[in-house]
Amino acid sequence: MKPQWRWFLAGVGLALAGVLLALIFMAYQMPELLLDWTNLSYCG
Amino acid sequence: MTLTKPAWRTPLIILIAGCVILTLSMGVRHTAGLFLQPMTLDHGWSRETFSFAIALQNLVWGLASPFAGALADRHGAGRTVVGAAVLYVLGLVLMSQAASPLTFDLTAGVLIGLGLSGTTFAVIMGVIGRHTTPEKRSLALGIASAGGSFGQFAVLPIGQALITAYGWQSALVLLACGVGLIAPLAYAMADGHKPAASGGQSIAEALREAGGQKSFHYLFWGYFVCGFQTAFIMLHLPSFLVDGGLTANVGMTAVALIGLFNIFGSFLFGWAGGCGSKKNLLVLIYAARAVAILIFMLLPLSTATAWGFAAVMGILWLGTVPLTNGLVAQIFGLRYMSMLTGIVFLGHQLGSFLGAWLGGRIFDQTGSYELAWIIAIVLSVLAALCSWPINEKPLLRPATA
Repeated sequence: MKPQWRWFLAGVGLALAGVLLALIFMAYQMPELLLDWTNLSYCG
Repeated sequence: MTLTKPAWRTPLIILIAGCVILTLSMGVRHTAGLFLQPMTLDHGWSRETFSFAIALQNLVWGLASPFAGALADRHGAGRTVVGAAVLYVLGLVLMSQAASPLTFDLTAGVLIGLGLSGTTFAVIMGVIGRHTTPEKRSLALGIASAGGSFGQFAVLPIGQALITAYGWQSALVLLACGVGLIAPLAYAMADGHKPAASGGQSIAEALREAGGQKSFHYLFWGYFVCGFQTAFIMLHLPSFLVDGGLTANVGMTAVALIGLFNIFGSFLFGWAGGCGSKKNLLVLIYAARAVAILIFMLLPLSTATAWGFAAVMGILWLGTVPLTNGLVAQIFGLRYMSMLTGIVFLGHQLGSFLGAWLGGRIFDQTGSYELAWIIAIVLSVLAALCSWPINEKPLLRPATA
């Protein structure tokens, strides 16, 4: 893999990890947020 | 020591599987406090009844860790992790049905404590340590530690959401399903580690050797302080903030900040341990904790100081894990790493038990947490002084024929 692609993928991975952490941080005030996002909000 | 493994079981696969196992086991364990209110209300139990079972869980976890580590060193980590995962799942499911304090102690306390001993740091770090080169070992242990930290951060709001949506009993069963995922992941932990077949040091000899080294005792007592501080702060900080006139929301955000910064701290100190002296970094962590607590005590309490303190403590939170485990591997070698880190971890859990219990006791007796904070500062200074003389050099053993 070319170095540019490696850096690009690492950047995308870091950005996604940042979004995930921000989402979890927000979920401390709104726990139902994670259930909605993970489709666990309905179990029949 | 011989390692026989299929080609797919690469160090990266082992590291990823170890991270996921730690995320699940540490994360689910971290939700225990969420069940305090609904369970005590439904059963008419006192808070002390609930707290005792969780304190018992911490003790059993610590006491069983050296045995789980020895089992992993002797018979393989894969089997140990599967067996512990089964106990963990059973503990959670039966906890949801516990109708008396005794059954609650046996399930939430004993079964989950045993489950944790085989699915957390002692066993998992041993496997990861064996499959990484000395140069990359500290970083790998830091990444695994960050996995456990991520679990603590991420599973807490999920647990709260599950309780709100389905009630505490169903939430426990759903969390048990999550822990059940550890069993298939344990396949990656079956690393074919067979110390008995390679001759050399026995378990008894390894124990005698470690017990005779001052550095091992320093690591034990340093970890004791780590357990004291983390258990005290995690359990009592939210109440301390509310007592000081701040809202419960500020307390919840402080807990979230500790969890968030803990991920970065675990990784950071794991990486730094690979570049420099691990014992100096331990000195830095314990000294920085003393300074952080002192400044927090001296400044007027506000949302900003509470969140600033939480962020700093988060960075310093589990940074001790890769450094302490890395030092055990560095000084005593990899053969009995799981067992020896299990013994050191017992110190951590004894400290946790004391920190959680003494914090409440001091508050009940004096009406404030001031004395507990002072004890935390003094212990931190002692831990820094204790870590300074640790001899990081690998032990020299006479060569066996």
